[in-house]
Amino acid sequence: MSGFEYILQQVINAVSLGSLYALVAVGLSIVFGVLKLTNFAHGDVMMVGAFTTVLLIGIGMPFIPALICGIIGAAFAGFLIERIAYRPIRNAPDVTRLLTSLAVTYILENFGILVFSSSPRNFPLPPALNDSWQLLDGAITFTNINILTLALTLVSLIGLGWFITRTTLGLGMRAASEDMAAAQLVGLDVNRLVIVAFVVASAFAGLAGVLWAAQAGVVQPQMGFTPLLKAFVAAIIGGFGSIEGALVGGFILGALEIFIVAFMPDAITPYRDAIVFSLLIAFLLFRPGGLLQPNREIKL
Amino acid sequence: MARLIISGVVVALLAGVAFGAPSLMSDYFVRILLIIALNSIFVLSLSLSNGFTGVFSLGHVGFIGAGAYLSGILSLTVAQKASLLPHLPAFMNWFSLPFLPATLVAGAFTAVLAIIVGYPLMRLSGYFVSVATMGFLIIVNVVLINASDFTRGARTFTGVPLDTSLPWVFGWLAVTLFVLWRLVYSPFGRRMKAVRDDTIAASAVGIDMLKTRLTAFAIGAFFAGVGGSLFAHYLGSFSPVTFYFAMTMNLIAMLVLGGMGSLSGALIGVICVSLLSELLRSVERGFTIGHITIPALFGASQIVLGFIFILIMIFRPKGIMGERELTFGFFRRSAKSQIKQGEV
Amino acid sequence: MTNINRRNALGLGLSTAFVLATTGRSFAADPIKIGFPANLTGNAASLDGPMLNGGKLAAAEINAAGGVLGQQIELVVYDTKSDATVISTVASQLIDSDKVVSIVAFSDSDSVLAIGPQIQKAKIPLITPGATSPKLPSQLGDEVFLACFGDNVQAAVGAEFALNNLKAKTGYLLTDIGTEYTTLLSDYFVKTYEHGGGKLLGKDTYKTGDKTFTAQIAKIKALPEAPGFIYAASLVDEVTLILKQLRQAGINIPVVGGDGYDSPLLLEVGGKAAENTYFTTHSYIGPGATPKVQKFMDAYKAAYKVDPENAFAALGYDAVKLMADAIKRAGVVDSAKIRDAIAATSGLDAVTGTISYRPGIAVPDKSVSVIGVKDGKLFLASEAAPSFVAEP
Repeated sequence: MSGFEYILQQVINAVSLGSLYALVAVGLSIVFGVLKLTNFAHGDVMMVGAFTTVLLIGIGMPFIPALICGIIGAAFAGFLIERIAYRPIRNAPDVTRLLTSLAVTYILENFGILVFSSSPRNFPLPPALNDSWQLLDGAITFTNINILTLALTLVSLIGLGWFITRTTLGLGMRAASEDMAAAQLVGLDVNRLVIVAFVVASAFAGLAGVLWAAQAGVVQPQMGFTPLLKAFVAAIIGGFGSIEGALVGGFILGALEIFIVAFMPDAITPYRDAIVFSLLIAFLLFRPGGLLQPNREIKL
Repeated sequence: MARLIISGVVVALLAGVAFGAPSLMSDYFVRILLIIALNSIFVLSLSLSNGFTGVFSLGHVGFIGAGAYLSGILSLTVAQKASLLPHLPAFMNWFSLPFLPATLVAGAFTAVLAIIVGYPLMRLSGYFVSVATMGFLIIVNVVLINASDFTRGARTFTGVPLDTSLPWVFGWLAVTLFVLWRLVYSPFGRRMKAVRDDTIAASAVGIDMLKTRLTAFAIGAFFAGVGGSLFAHYLGSFSPVTFYFAMTMNLIAMLVLGGMGSLSGALIGVICVSLLSELLRSVERGFTIGHITIPALFGASQIVLGFIFILIMIFRPKGIMGERELTFGFFRRSAKSQIKQGEV
Repeated sequence: MTNINRRNALGLGLSTAFVLATTGRSFAADPIKIGFPANLTGNAASLDGPMLNGGKLAAAEINAAGGVLGQQIELVVYDTKSDATVISTVASQLIDSDKVVSIVAFSDSDSVLAIGPQIQKAKIPLITPGATSPKLPSQLGDEVFLACFGDNVQAAVGAEFALNNLKAKTGYLLTDIGTEYTTLLSDYFVKTYEHGGGKLLGKDTYKTGDKTFTAQIAKIKALPEAPGFIYAASLVDEVTLILKQLRQAGINIPVVGGDGYDSPLLLEVGGKAAENTYFTTHSYIGPGATPKVQKFMDAYKAAYKVDPENAFAALGYDAVKLMADAIKRAGVVDSAKIRDAIAATSGLDAVTGTISYRPGIAVPDKSVSVIGVKDGKLFLASEAAPSFVAEP
């Protein structure tokens, strides 16, 4: 394998990982944009989506309909969480809302353990999706599930772009994200917009959850935690609350993680997560608006 | 004068419990008592930044872990160091510290660490500081796993002498309470609350925000390091995963339930959550013994705790105590009025 | 401990007399209590759950056959939630409140290390069914026994299997640095493999919970010389992903590992990618197993409606049988005597092999099974004792 092929393979790996991070981060950013809420429960909504899909495949449903049901299930879970846990504290201080989202995480995860046990279970992916493509005499490989992930990421993001720029609801959502009070002032139904934001974000979480689990090959109640942490980093690199930012941040993070392992000396690679989270702190300090909103004010 | 007598009585009572309990109670209850006291040190030290200064840190457990590991390394005997930590640098491998000095060094180390980490981080607020301190926790975890010359990596750190007894923990709890009480209800304490309640106004009247936050953060970290050392000498063996998100959640739940702006609230939170967890743990188990074939409800205790947490957030967002203190009518009444002023 | 014995003896005597007088049936009232703390939730749940089931099955069989020394045995079970603080609390409950005479506990060395100091102080013997760190007895003391082989032995068998059976003189090492077990296994493997003349072409690491190994795999592909096999010191969650991603990348060389692979997930999740994988474990459980193992599998299936999930079910079963055997040989329900009886165990015919302790060594000499995957099924590739074992 030549140096060029090695690099190309690692770039493919980075894009594949990055698209997953981007999907999770976009959902986080939608909620943050509208509600200024750091939603820790987002990872558990991913888990709900993945489990729904696995259970439905288990009773004989084909993959694609099960995926769609998983997305719907996640969206419904997001709706319930907003209605039950977040709405009563919508105007509470940041910290109260952050803590409530932590409590929701705690409940959902342990509920998952109670119902499904904490042992991982198999994700029955159709074998065709596991087939791999070999290019340049096998030097470069990628799988159908990689392609599917990338394709669904792009399609869903284009759909989201259309939604927030072309529909009344989407425009309202963006207005609320820029200034909640002003949106209310001009007569927008804020409750409705918040629910829409949650449902859309949770649908993204559901999609990301199914794809994440499909790539991992297993589902388990704790599965949402790692992607959630990574998505925080991605969202903050790109600019928390900005959808484009989350997208860019996701791909940057994916590339960073792969390249650290691929090109750094062996003594450094085990510190990958430390490097990633140092970057998070650096961004918070020096560029809190992220890459895409360098001039955004942040309150101290 | 009354204060002095009351303090004397409280100290005598604590000492009585600390020294008397092991001979009166079963080891099980002694352990529960010890864990409650230990968690009180953790939660009190956490309340300084998270409750009184308004810097909601998710990285506190990182300091506890750092303190536990450092104290553990210092307390191993020279022979143990040679076998467990063969690659320890020469300046650390020729001596072994007794419990108290090791604990003090651990506290001092975490305080210095807090100043280094806090110097940049304390400029942030709201969720930014929470996410950044969470990053710190993850970084500590990665370092503990990878600095295997010092920490044995992911492998269990073991062989720490089991020195932590009830008198030690109660003694340190008393010191923690005393220091924090003096601090919180002092001019510096008012500065902390001013920074928490209105950053801009606080700066306008000349309060150095960074210095105030950093001081609170570092003092909290000192006691976290001390608590970490006590914890290390209680468990005897631990690994990096001991000091991670599960512990963070536990401490935050205790703090929030009790009330974030109150020292007695922190204590009440610890006691409530600890007793409730123990109770729920035996209820869970009750279903698995005998011939009752109800599936085990493992995880049920965590769900119940989570719901209680959300209900508190919705209906009593300031926790059980809010910002009041349980003083039984003693101590300075002014403490209350000070807090009132601080409220927005 | 004398208290307990006196009370037990008295209770036994009185109740036997009472029962004999009233019903004429001989049935001891006070069961012999054996502590069985297990991590039924948290990280270690997928191993401790089957282990508990196996232990309960053994206890039920022993009791159905009349118990030990005329008394029934009772397993006192607690969930320790994979949390060191809970483990120490539960230990004091077992010792002080339940007054257990001995303890069977855990499948991971972290948890055994957490409970060790207390049982050592109370002088209550402990058998761990599945914690494979051979350092445990020397770290904790003379009350701790392993019912399983040590990691140094299984790593040595894995290394010699690669050298002798797979004829792989070059290898690549992938280590999960997130757990004690995988780190130890990896160290022991290197010692035996290099002692046997093998050459490692490279080493890489990852952390428990990682999902993407493509970067590590691309490095293996970029090696100037392809290694003969990969030793992956991993747990099953990660190794299935590593296998999938390896095979997708077109690397089809054998992958060898330890008993961390021993779970149905290896085949379920790994699927076709699990082909050409070998792992060392305690006993071969599956179609075509020895009659002894088959008997255990049938009993397990009858009791729990599922096949034994992994070898830890058999280890839990064996550990309780070993404990009961020791109590029988001790002749009295006395912790110190039971400890000595455990240490004197010789030639106990258990599901996972024959258990004997050499004097002063609390890790049994057991043979190691090497299990391979072929055509989507497990098969016994080799059963061996290693010729060179690294010091613990």
